[in-house]
Amino acid sequence: MSLDARDSLDELLRETLRQDATGASHAVAQLEARVLETLGDRAPRRGLWGSLKALVAPTRAGRWTQLAFVGATACACLLVGFFLGDRLPRDRSPEPVALTRAAVPAVKTATAEASDQNGVLFILPAPNARVVSLVGSFSEWEPVPLTDNDGDGIWTTQIPLSPGRYEYAFIIDGRWFGQDPSADDYVKSFGEYSSVRYIGGGGGA
Amino acid sequence: MGTEEDDGTVYRTQDEVSLLRASLDGQTEAWGEIVTRYKDAVFGLCLGFLRNRADAEDVTHDAFVRAYLNLRRYNLDRKFSTWVFTIAANLCRNRIRYRRNHPVMEVEFEMEGSADPARTVAREEQQVRVREALGTLPYAYRTPLVLRFYNDLSYKEIGDILAIPEGTVKTRIHRGKAMLKEMLDKERGAS
Repeated sequence: MSLDARDSLDELLRETLRQDATGASHAVAQLEARVLETLGDRAPRRGLWGSLKALVAPTRAGRWTQLAFVGATACACLLVGFFLGDRLPRDRSPEPVALTRAAVPAVKTATAEASDQNGVLFILPAPNARVVSLVGSFSEWEPVPLTDNDGDGIWTTQIPLSPGRYEYAFIIDGRWFGQDPSADDYVKSFGEYSSVRYIGGGGGA
Repeated sequence: MGTEEDDGTVYRTQDEVSLLRASLDGQTEAWGEIVTRYKDAVFGLCLGFLRNRADAEDVTHDAFVRAYLNLRRYNLDRKFSTWVFTIAANLCRNRIRYRRNHPVMEVEFEMEGSADPARTVAREEQQVRVREALGTLPYAYRTPLVLRFYNDLSYKEIGDILAIPEGTVKTRIHRGKAMLKEMLDKERGAS
């Protein structure tokens, strides 16, 4: 018999697979007993939501007691959270939303005086950071270190820049921080935000 | 002497949803009836996927245990067979990965003789060649063929079980058959 016809191959496949399974079906002859033995007295798992539902509403009589128990547990968890939150060391890097333009300008644009003082001052408040650097289109995205010589948590560097458009981001202890609140604009590329700053009202970088 | 419920006979006439509800209530005998109804389909799927009887037996057992323990995740409005086949297919995939690092010394695939005495010798030879070709077919192409030709599933169901789009299922079945045909033709040309 030729295998050229498509239907023939379909039929042959069907026959072969069924014959294979039928021929070896003795392997699962006692499967029910084995499965039930493995399961023993176990019941289907409830899952988190099921467990909570079962806890809250198994009987009418015990409902309020159990609701009170769940509420008390939640309150206890909150209290523990507040207690620990106050004592555990905080995240080393600053939260981007915590920075405001008015409070600390992250980038001070170059003025005529600033140009005389060697360019643009980049400032970043990061009290617990260990290493802070700046990357940007002005440095071919190579890291430029920021310094905090007086240990007040304010990291700075000054970079001479001619008028133009610059993209940049800070790297705080290895973490990318691309959304500087003081930036003129933001761009997203390769899944990361970068800040954009226009120096001297310039166009392209 | 046990009651009907004890020996499981009471469940034999019940419909699938009733059995699943009873299983959810922890009545494992009802689950035993589900196993009886689906074990051949699940075992055939595993055997087709894995091409190894001992592995297929293990995975079939594990699939029913896992399905029972996770039964609350199953939506009673959906087709049960698709759900249990999905569990079995995932376990087969895990077993295939395990076998890559822990290969068996000799692939065991011994089949009993044909139950049909009227089967021609030529047909049996063709089946032997198809069996061998299926064993060398890449896993990604073999699995949809098994679900299509052993379990008689639609493209949509196959896609749901293997977590691939329906179009990919069609392509893989078409390509898988073409590869099989090529292997069979090549072997026939060589002999």
